[in-house]
Amino acid sequence: MDDPAEQAGFTSWQQDAAGQRIAESHFALTGLYCAACADVIEHALRAEPGVLEATVNYATRRASVRWRTALTKPSQIVASVARAGYAAAPDLAEPARALRQRAWRDALWRLFVAAFCMMQVMMYAAPAYVAEPGTLAPDLLRLLQWASWLLSLPVVLFSAAPIFREAAQGLRQGQVRMDLPVAIGIAVTFIVSSVATFAPDAGFGHEVYFDSLTMFVCFLLAGRTLALRAQTRVAAMLEAALSRQPQAVQRIGADGSVTLVALRSLGIGDRVRVAVGEAFPADGCVTDGRTRADEALLTGESRPVPKQPGDDVIAGSLNLGAPVSVRVERLGADTRYEAVVALMRSALTQRPALVRAADRVAVPFLWGVLLLAAAAGGVWSFIDPARAVWVMVSVLIVTCPCALSLAAPSALLAAAGTLARRGVLVQRLDALEALASLQCLYFDKTGTLTEDRLDLREVHVLPAARHVGLDASTLLAQAAALAAFSSHPLSRALAGQSVGVAPPAWSDVAETAGAGLQAVAPDGRVVRLGAREWVDASQPVLSGTAGAQVWLGDERGALACFEFDEALRADAVDAIGRLREAGLSTALLSGDAPERVQRVAERLGVADAEGHASPERKLARIAAAQQAGQRVGMVGDGLNDAPVIARADVSFAMGGGAAITRSKADFILMSGRLADVLFARDTARRAMRVVRQNLGWALAYNLTCVPLALFGLFPPWAAGLGMATSSLAVVLNAMRIARTD
Amino acid sequence: MDVLYLLVPMSVLLVFGLMALFRWAIGAGQFDDLEREGERILLEDSPKLDTDQTPS
Repeated sequence: MDDPAEQAGFTSWQQDAAGQRIAESHFALTGLYCAACADVIEHALRAEPGVLEATVNYATRRASVRWRTALTKPSQIVASVARAGYAAAPDLAEPARALRQRAWRDALWRLFVAAFCMMQVMMYAAPAYVAEPGTLAPDLLRLLQWASWLLSLPVVLFSAAPIFREAAQGLRQGQVRMDLPVAIGIAVTFIVSSVATFAPDAGFGHEVYFDSLTMFVCFLLAGRTLALRAQTRVAAMLEAALSRQPQAVQRIGADGSVTLVALRSLGIGDRVRVAVGEAFPADGCVTDGRTRADEALLTGESRPVPKQPGDDVIAGSLNLGAPVSVRVERLGADTRYEAVVALMRSALTQRPALVRAADRVAVPFLWGVLLLAAAAGGVWSFIDPARAVWVMVSVLIVTCPCALSLAAPSALLAAAGTLARRGVLVQRLDALEALASLQCLYFDKTGTLTEDRLDLREVHVLPAARHVGLDASTLLAQAAALAAFSSHPLSRALAGQSVGVAPPAWSDVAETAGAGLQAVAPDGRVVRLGAREWVDASQPVLSGTAGAQVWLGDERGALACFEFDEALRADAVDAIGRLREAGLSTALLSGDAPERVQRVAERLGVADAEGHASPERKLARIAAAQQAGQRVGMVGDGLNDAPVIARADVSFAMGGGAAITRSKADFILMSGRLADVLFARDTARRAMRVVRQNLGWALAYNLTCVPLALFGLFPPWAAGLGMATSSLAVVLNAMRIARTD
Repeated sequence: MDVLYLLVPMSVLLVFGLMALFRWAIGAGQFDDLEREGERILLEDSPKLDTDQTPS
């Protein structure tokens, strides 16, 4: 585990200001039963010398640790978690999966033991309930009680062991953990019943509660096992997506031979062979073969994308069609895949404000429960000593701080998972709260609403051309062939137009920077392509146009004018329209020339557009909107507008290539689909609704059940059922978010 | 009635026996993936590969 090559699988390194190496490692944890465990592990990790920072997320059972390489080692970090009473493994796919499997088998085994014993104890308890007084022989009753006691032993000592361990560790560290009331409840019931069985005259009465006890433990474990299963499934899904990169790849040598090499030893420019069903090991370009690739994980595009020679493929996407050869262009941390993995991991270990608030409430809540139970036991021992134990146990068991502390994280995480499947990555979970109440959305223009290419809008055929019988497609073919000699953006846009008419062969092509091209046609004409002044200064300016123009002409004068517009993103018009329908006010803020900004705004139907907007100006606009009490979002390309993105309540960035690693935005639209902004807002709203429902439910449950238990209206078995159901209800409610339709 | 004095201890032993059986079943991984076994009938026996292969 301490070998640097091994560490690379779960660790990233950087240097601090003093030049010392700092590593950040990820671990998968098991043995956590309640949200408070996360705190315990954090404390244990922070106490380890050399550890700078540790974050533990309960819902995903993951820890991320920043540590100094000079002072500690991963094996020592794992050991410190073990000393706190939990198990940690590096967050690589394999050991983490094994760890999860062990946890699942262990939970299932404890549940089975509890369930079998419970069923049998019920059978032994039944005669005592149904027999007419005096008809059950005393020594038979004694035998049944002994048998119940014998079968309760494995339930208390084995099935409930994690609960006791949890509570005991908390006490050793001077903390009250969520399992403490439950552990006391189980212990008290068992001791009282055991004394009643073996020494009926010791003063604890004759009543035995083995049936209530086993039933309660069984319900509790059943609820926990179901919750564990739901969480395991989320973790396994994420992991399956994240651990997709193959460990060994087939490299094609210079002589065409194929050798199997480790992913680590691959270099830029290598050619690799990717079989059907395998993931592409690196970002690259197809050199041979045609196939389809599944890029759903990285872009949210659900349909397979066709790939042919020359097309780019993304590391971590799956090859579905046929074996292909790929030239490696980007590796490791530079790939889009690695950026996504890093983002997912950091999102999984965050503890948003909502979660921290719930954790703070939990400890006083637990103290309150313990005091209430003690008080209830005291009062009832005067009213009805026979029921005092029973009431105390019910109060201890019925309270469910778990539901409170799971309410927010389970919902936020489910929302992040749903968004990730659509190709929207959440960098900051806190932003979901702000997104749900978003009112106003500012867009950057270039790279966000428009793509960085130009579209031919119109070909104006001028009188001189019409006179000699040239039509638009011939002129366009000529201009496109000539433009191919230049690398100016307008030329490239023009050269990209093919119209199916064979172009003439140009000779003596010359380019004058800032003006245009000149060339000689096969028939000896000198043809010019470029700005109006360069082609034919006597031409009047075309009125009513604002786009960029390219003119074509020869000695006879200007023949044609090609007019270009910025290419809007494919779904921009539709997405803006839907955002407006959803009640969001939209505005365009761009550093570009006002006429061009205005033009794009008109095409999109955005009323509020401002050009020449410097970053300060954008900041002022957002601050003004915020002062007016609005929740403001910013959609940009995420690279240049850092202060604006930091100021906005919610920020979106368009993700593409390696750029997303540098982005500081709250959300990243991997797919580049603007409509996903609306999807993200709807998901955030649903998540916030679920958080409110969960908190309301947890509060209502505790407020009704605790008084009922205090007044002795809640038998312990019902208390166990109630507690298990309330935790489960919270987790299941959160899973509803993932169902979008 | 007297037979109960034999049957009750025997039922305790039976429960321990059943628990041992399940211990083995869990240890053998029979409950590791509850969804997959149900879906197995929908899977083809041998997945076909290279169905989309085009000559290049």
